[in-house]
Amino acid sequence: MMDINDVVSNLERNYILKLLKQGKRIDGRGLFEYREVKIKTGFIPKAEGSADVFLGDTRVMCGVKYDIGAPFSDNPDKGVCTVMTEYVPIASPMFEPGRPDEVAIQLARVVDRGIRHTNCIDYKKLCIKEGEYVYILFVDCYMMDYFGNLTDASAIAAIAALLNTNLPGAKLNEKGEPEWDGTYAPLTIYEIPLSISFGKVGDVIFVDPNLSEEMVLDGSIAFAVDEKKQVTSIQKYGSATWTVNEIMETSKKAIEIADELRAKLKLRQHVQQSNS
Amino acid sequence: MSAENKQIREIVTPGQVIASDPELMAGRGAIREANGDIVSVFVGLKEIRGKYVNVVPLNGLYNPQIGDKVIGRVIAKTPVKFLLDINSKFLGILKPSDAFKRSHRTRGYPKTMGTYRLPRENDMDKLKMGDMLICKVLSGSRTEEPTLTSLGQELGLITEGLVIAIASTKIPRVIGKKGSMIALLKNLLHCKIFVAQNGRIWIHGRNPESERLLIEVIYKIEREAHTTGLTDRVKAYIIKEKKNRGIK
Amino acid sequence: MPILVPEPHDEVCFREDGKRLDGRAVDELRPFSCEVGVIKNAQGSALVRHGKNLIYAAIYGPREVHPRHLARPDRGILRVYYRMATFSVHERKSPAPNRRENEISKVIREALEPVLFLEAYPDSQIEVYIEVIAADGGTRCASTTAASLALADAGIPMKSMVVGVAAGKAQGKVLLDLGDKEDKVGQADIPCVVVMKDKSISLLQFDGEMTLEEMKLGFEYVLKGAEIIYQKQLEALREKYNKISRQAEIEDAELSKETPKEEKTASESTDTAVSPESSDIFKSDVEAESAENTRSAEINETPEASETPSTEGSETKTSQEDVSSVGKEAKEENTLSEESAPSEVPPQAGEDNPTGDDK
Repeated sequence: MMDINDVVSNLERNYILKLLKQGKRIDGRGLFEYREVKIKTGFIPKAEGSADVFLGDTRVMCGVKYDIGAPFSDNPDKGVCTVMTEYVPIASPMFEPGRPDEVAIQLARVVDRGIRHTNCIDYKKLCIKEGEYVYILFVDCYMMDYFGNLTDASAIAAIAALLNTNLPGAKLNEKGEPEWDGTYAPLTIYEIPLSISFGKVGDVIFVDPNLSEEMVLDGSIAFAVDEKKQVTSIQKYGSATWTVNEIMETSKKAIEIADELRAKLKLRQHVQQSNS
Repeated sequence: MSAENKQIREIVTPGQVIASDPELMAGRGAIREANGDIVSVFVGLKEIRGKYVNVVPLNGLYNPQIGDKVIGRVIAKTPVKFLLDINSKFLGILKPSDAFKRSHRTRGYPKTMGTYRLPRENDMDKLKMGDMLICKVLSGSRTEEPTLTSLGQELGLITEGLVIAIASTKIPRVIGKKGSMIALLKNLLHCKIFVAQNGRIWIHGRNPESERLLIEVIYKIEREAHTTGLTDRVKAYIIKEKKNRGIK
Repeated sequence: MPILVPEPHDEVCFREDGKRLDGRAVDELRPFSCEVGVIKNAQGSALVRHGKNLIYAAIYGPREVHPRHLARPDRGILRVYYRMATFSVHERKSPAPNRRENEISKVIREALEPVLFLEAYPDSQIEVYIEVIAADGGTRCASTTAASLALADAGIPMKSMVVGVAAGKAQGKVLLDLGDKEDKVGQADIPCVVVMKDKSISLLQFDGEMTLEEMKLGFEYVLKGAEIIYQKQLEALREKYNKISRQAEIEDAELSKETPKEEKTASESTDTAVSPESSDIFKSDVEAESAENTRSAEINETPEASETPSTEGSETKTSQEDVSSVGKEAKEENTLSEESAPSEVPPQAGEDNPTGDDK
């Protein structure tokens, strides 16, 4: 039997459609208007970096932890960073406890790629001893309240938490093993990638779907954009089809909106002052 | 100034002793302890009505009462009935005989006409998943799923407008004393409203802007349901916002 | 590979001045604060900050049981999911649920069951989700405190609130509310959950070495600490509404500045008119009214009717009359269709809502 909240009322679907055709949205925003973003960082004592992000009413908390381990054989001088997202049932009556399903896994991989393929983290600085010891960063995002567009909210939380991260410095002892050198230093982050997601209903395309819109849309598409105004990754969700023209137009819009958002958020303010 | 300290009403909490008088009886939301104390089981407002001490909860799911009008959403179908979400712990059951009138035509032609028969229409196809209906509660109890009917005056499928949901305990405040609040909303915002007992409210306004203001006002009423002077405040709020947003 | 900065593992739990490492006395509670209504999607929710613990609890339900075979026909079931975030502890915890979380979920469930009326929810389940965002010792106790707040916030009837707090022993002294280090290197740990109405214990575990006298002292500390936390719980539950009342007062004050004549709106007092069965203090006198009055109230631009509200509504008819008056409201807007629609088709919505004139 279907979970109650997966079934959207046809009334609501028709209402949203009707409004979209007029260029309006159910919460009064314009088609390309982003919801308000609120960010708080550095509030989890045992995490090396942390962020609590509100995108409208959607809430995602992210924490960064590290481990020391062997690098991948094809990149022996680079550290590793993996992003995980967890759809905790606390966030919505639609989420069930248990292993991540395909939607959760896809989200994690999309956010991960957004950071990995941008020139974001300096992986070489995460190397302690080539081929043997590197920092392995775990960026774990927990959805805490689901009101649409977890992709963008998680991307913002992940990058804010990374900016907020302070790692203990490592030096090699006599045995050639890493140990703490007594200092903490922030991560070196070059570019700040942002994810901008669009929904599509019929022919109408709009940015940052909220919960009601996300339940009725035909499909969506997420762009990761870096500071050089480049699109660094794209993911299409759902079974709607997009014309090439639509994709091009929407990419341009994504770059525009990402720039505006980046300027508004001023994410670099979340870097902790390093304390040695 | 009417409502100074009246605003801070006493909110009682679960386990709190709200009366010890042996003459009083525990009404809804309260239980009597072994030692005679009457204790609240909810976070809510205490009221003493005659010999009963009640606690009105400030939150909670809808409890179906026979005769209530509710707005339900079809979320499942079995071959013989529809299941509706009515914001309660059980789903409501709607049987096709309670949803569609049977026309004598579907019974087919009499046997004297030979074997020709009209194909029987499948009642179960008439409602789709996600359809919203106004129904009346026919039966229901603590242990059984409530049964509903959508046949009757002002009952049936909803085809336009929008349905929003608030806590069902706050519904009477949206109606207001003698319908005063709902009248206020209709007059100032020129909209149609139907308030169902299970916390769902159907609205249909002239334009999306006035509908949005109406939705915000209803949420305001829900939030401030435990305060006094609400009608005045709501009226002032609507007038002010109409001016700010340029809604006629 | 162990991470670079290890957690302290020495035995020292006291400073030179005799106080504990964080400055507390042996019977002092860590700083505690809490809030309800923090997760909008949930039926009820709470956030607890107990020392450096940061814990969210959310309630969903009562709703139908999934999977069906777990449902009980005579009473509802309570399902508790206690999970720690990977970044809540010093060394990253794997996201998969482990056996410790499983056990803790069970003891928390058994700590909450005694105060719930599960017989009122046959065939249903109430779900409690606990997410520990930051952990610093005593999480199972703080989680139960949060769960209790969330249940009350959800409007689920409870016999009493419950409070979790632990006692223990380190370096020979009995302590209240162990911190993280005291928990890890100390000599004994007694997590407890107290049912505040009768001060009975609904969760009890014990590890370590303690004499019976020391245990008794530990329980005294627990009851003392629980009382302090309980008061904060009550404050948080009320504050959710008092905050709104205060804002309403401010709005009222601004209003009265603008409208010089002060009309006390008699229609606003909600202290009246409801029978015990219907129990809705918010329900004004709708049920006592006839159709004419409602119609005239609609046409009236100023809705204040200055009649004194009647004090006793008739009991059994309440819900019927309420329904009928609502229906009558709707009827005003309805352009009743002249004939009923062809009967195969479900009644379509007219203006206001489905016209249902059944002929």
